Amino acid sequence: MYMSTVAELKAELKKLNAEYAKIKDVPAEKRADFGKELNTKKQAIMQKIADAEAAAENDSVLPIDITAPCDINAKQPEFLTADFGSKHPLMTELDRVISIYQSMGFDIMESRQLDDEFHMFDSLNFAKGHPARDGYDTFRTEEGFIPPAHTSTMQHRVLKTYKHKLDEGSAIAVAVPGRVYRNEDVDVTHEHTFYQCEGVYVSRTCTLGNMLGILREFFEKYYGQKLNIKTQPGYFPFTEPSLEFLIEKPKVLGGKGGDWLEMLGCGMIHPNVLKMAGIDPNEYQGFAWGGGIDRLVMLRYGLGDVRYFESAKLDFLKEFTC
Amino acid sequence: MLISLNWLKRGLDEITISDDELIRLIGARLVEVEDVYDQTKKYEKIYAVKVISAEPIDGTHLSLCKIDDGGVADKVERDKDGYIQVMCGAPNVHEGMYAVWIAPGAIVPSTFGTNEPFEIGMRKMLKKYDSYGMMAGADELDFGDDHTGIVELNPAEVHHPGECIFHLFLDLRDKILDIENKSLTHRPDTFGILGFRREVAGILGQKHISPDWLMDPEPNFDNDPSIKLDIKIDEELCPRYTAIVLEVKPDWPKKYLNNNDTLLARSGMRPIDPIVDLTNICMLGFGQPLHAFDYDKFVKVGGTNTPKIIVRAAKKDEKLTLLDGNEITMNPDDIVITSNDVPVALAGAMGGANTAIDKDTKRVILESATFSLYNLRKTQMAHGIFSEAITRFTKGQPTGQTLPVALRFTESAAPYLKPLALFDSQTEEPAPIKVNLSLSQINGLLGTNFSDEEVKQILENVEFSVKLGEHITVTVPFWRTDIHIPEDVIEEVGRLSGFDNIKPVLPLHATSDPNPMFGLKTQIRNHLAACGANEVLTYSFVHGDLMKKVGQNPDNSYKIVNSISPELQHIRQTIVPSLLDKTYGNIRAGHDKFALFEMNQVYPRTNGMDQDGVPENNYNLGFVYADAGNKTNYYTAKKYLENLLQALGVSYELKAFEAAKDETNAYYEPKRSATIYADNQVIGYIGEIKGHVVREFKLAVGTAAFELDLKLILEKAEGAMHKDFRVSQYPSVSRDVTLTVPLETEYISLEKQIRGLFELRNYIYKLNCTSIYQADGAKTKNVSFHLDFANPNKTLEKDEINVIMAEVESIK
Repeated sequence: MYMSTVAELKAELKKLNAEYAKIKDVPAEKRADFGKELNTKKQAIMQKIADAEAAAENDSVLPIDITAPCDINAKQPEFLTADFGSKHPLMTELDRVISIYQSMGFDIMESRQLDDEFHMFDSLNFAKGHPARDGYDTFRTEEGFIPPAHTSTMQHRVLKTYKHKLDEGSAIAVAVPGRVYRNEDVDVTHEHTFYQCEGVYVSRTCTLGNMLGILREFFEKYYGQKLNIKTQPGYFPFTEPSLEFLIEKPKVLGGKGGDWLEMLGCGMIHPNVLKMAGIDPNEYQGFAWGGGIDRLVMLRYGLGDVRYFESAKLDFLKEFTC
Repeated sequence: MLISLNWLKRGLDEITISDDELIRLIGARLVEVEDVYDQTKKYEKIYAVKVISAEPIDGTHLSLCKIDDGGVADKVERDKDGYIQVMCGAPNVHEGMYAVWIAPGAIVPSTFGTNEPFEIGMRKMLKKYDSYGMMAGADELDFGDDHTGIVELNPAEVHHPGECIFHLFLDLRDKILDIENKSLTHRPDTFGILGFRREVAGILGQKHISPDWLMDPEPNFDNDPSIKLDIKIDEELCPRYTAIVLEVKPDWPKKYLNNNDTLLARSGMRPIDPIVDLTNICMLGFGQPLHAFDYDKFVKVGGTNTPKIIVRAAKKDEKLTLLDGNEITMNPDDIVITSNDVPVALAGAMGGANTAIDKDTKRVILESATFSLYNLRKTQMAHGIFSEAITRFTKGQPTGQTLPVALRFTESAAPYLKPLALFDSQTEEPAPIKVNLSLSQINGLLGTNFSDEEVKQILENVEFSVKLGEHITVTVPFWRTDIHIPEDVIEEVGRLSGFDNIKPVLPLHATSDPNPMFGLKTQIRNHLAACGANEVLTYSFVHGDLMKKVGQNPDNSYKIVNSISPELQHIRQTIVPSLLDKTYGNIRAGHDKFALFEMNQVYPRTNGMDQDGVPENNYNLGFVYADAGNKTNYYTAKKYLENLLQALGVSYELKAFEAAKDETNAYYEPKRSATIYADNQVIGYIGEIKGHVVREFKLAVGTAAFELDLKLILEKAEGAMHKDFRVSQYPSVSRDVTLTVPLETEYISLEKQIRGLFELRNYIYKLNCTSIYQADGAKTKNVSFHLDFANPNKTLEKDEINVIMAEVESIK
């Protein structure tokens, strides 16, 4: 097939552009049609030019042997030096958190990044239309799916997935790390995208005292020292009682006693949440908690600006070289 | 919410613990106290004084005053009678009045605690008058915004001139608690001092007894039969509506600075006029917002002699002009108060201008009502109204308090208003909620050891009534709209007695199973970082234009309808485009050669749904290699890819690039890219980025990338632990060989043939390609290998070596 050269097409376009000047000779009532026709022609030519340019570029691209280890007459490729490489500090921290939970007998289930109203709210005992739903400032897709605003969106799945453990006479003990989203503007201390880790524990006899025991144990392992803990009453529709959990600022973070850090929200799982997952709340009880990972990293490294995390800036990442 | 500690303490038994300890306990057992504003020194050296004389100075607005401070102030000069001279510019200063005087050395209260506290001293005024201290207006005292004159004290309330003003009112040496409202979302009862105080009593182990007017409300007046008012409500929207019609008394008592003014100020509000102030005091005190309409205007607006309050959903686009003069357009989520169906107020938010109280008002309707918190929440958002009142309404005020608080208001407003008639949509109080539970349930959930008597006392302190028997039967007071099930009661027991008194104990349970995906990601992370690559995280949301730039179809992405900006509107389909987007910034920052990688979930719409009916995800690894100094980076990316796949134990093959039907891989240059296969299944793509794409991202030609599906990698990597591990005990030989083959011969065919020769003999071997060379204009290329091989069963003889090398050299 004959394909016009780019130069020919451009000449044609120039001619066409000149046609526009004739519009003043066209009767007023026909001008609209005249203009439309020219525009159609012009678009067709411009498309042809784009195609021709793409084809020309395509012709200039030389194929390579995709199976070869190196290019013809070229040196063998090399890795960058190891001291250049880095792991993202959030991921390093998440790995650490997970390995502590695993050492404490917790299974791991990663949180989803796109979920629905049922898992995000309904299965967590949020009444329909309850203002507490607004507090989460969720994003929504056209279909009504939700990039989850908390890792609790996984609680229902965790309960259903691990329910067999209860039937086997054991306990559900699962940690759920994941990326979550809140519809808020980004500044030094706020990100719309961040990481959390959820914990879910269910057995016949576990108590709020056990919850405090597990949380203290986790943070003592995490900071490598004995810690004082305390709580504050909180409110979450999916736990009853609901608490905020605090630790006394550890020595490694420069704590001198008396300063408290809010680490996470927690509570005894609401009977409705268990019931909805097919677990009889008269037979079993449980607790759950969730807290942010970003903050752990910021505390550890004394970072003042949360915006670095999703910036993909090498100048930042190279602070964390292996 | 701001709470005055002194107001809170009023009515409690004597508290033996320190304020700090009390505040700590409130934080531990009721609600987070975000901040404490210490005002104990705010009104120091500020006195009630008598104005002995006030002589206007001609040609000025000033008066020269002598005041009697009872001799308490120092740093002043006194006349022979012991009085102090002070200039005052207020028009209302007059002889014989009691005023508030800020003595020299005191800080002006409105500047207390600010960055610029203002200390009063002696001033020389009009070049000749010494003026000591300052006669104070409400604004300077931080009791209001009024700057039209100085405040006047009620002489009957001042015991002697020179009395510290903090004694004249509920002790002004106060601490103000700044309460984090969010954690009380479910506790409307604590949005008034009374309810908050009840909780504090419970926390301190004191028994709280609510006043009779709350528990057993009885009007002390008879309805005037000439006053007519019907109430018609939609109970879904407005569970209860109580109204009292009152007559405005003709002569109001003189306005002095009073205790309520100071309570409003301590609660972050401002005095406005006596009636509004009393409604606000009732709201702050008891958590029930009140509103007042002009009764006669109300009747007139309704256009009938049989006035009717109708509470209903607003109609679409219904208009109402509010008290502040703004006309709003309502929607059906708004609740509207109407006079005979004509809107007069946006329920819970603001009254209408058409029924506003003014100086000519003769009669008022006091509204005390509760509304659907769901609707008011929407009203709040739709109209941007965030008043103290709507903050309370959106917690769902209990219906049981509308009548008692309305009556309480009526009593306290007696100097100004005379009640005429009471109307109420509810004629009978509903039966209280009862919850049955057992002691073992309580101790079993909390991990505690309470006796039933202890439980009874803890709950009765906050006015639950508790019957011990086979079960513990708890009758819930009307204000606890949040208590329905045993767990709600258990929370109260644990909370009021202190969760921190519960002993943390580790439970025993089984060991855990590894999570293979996490293990895989950790392994990849460690591997690539050790090879000099940098792990990044980028947003899951991308711009539609970014997708178009790389040739992806935005329609294959889930679209966020309420995104922060267009840049964050689509959920990404693959990771590489996000990495390309972050590459230029790093080049500009001076990095000329680097590798970025990210592991994350992606949700291409073409994936469809999983078994839960939510979008199926992929776990992807994206990798980009940028080196402006090299026009062919495919081979470096390939080295990273192959090294990684080998480490993970994945057998793979690179085949000619195939464009994906859903266009997710549209950015790879087909002539310089490959499809990555494992077990005849596509596990990813590798290649250089198309020319027009790199131009869009301002990148160098030859920038290379790959992306792998980690769920498939996990499948294919299974069994990697059983890799054959062979070491020969016989010496190996090394040989270099160069094969001359036609240019178009694929390298991999040569490598496969060499491997075949060794594997046929079951030799242990290593193969390395050392160079690929093409002479100028030649139609052939020379491919050189370095080979190490050994026979696992014996030492290789020269002949054997020659035979196999001859076979290698004959490969074409």
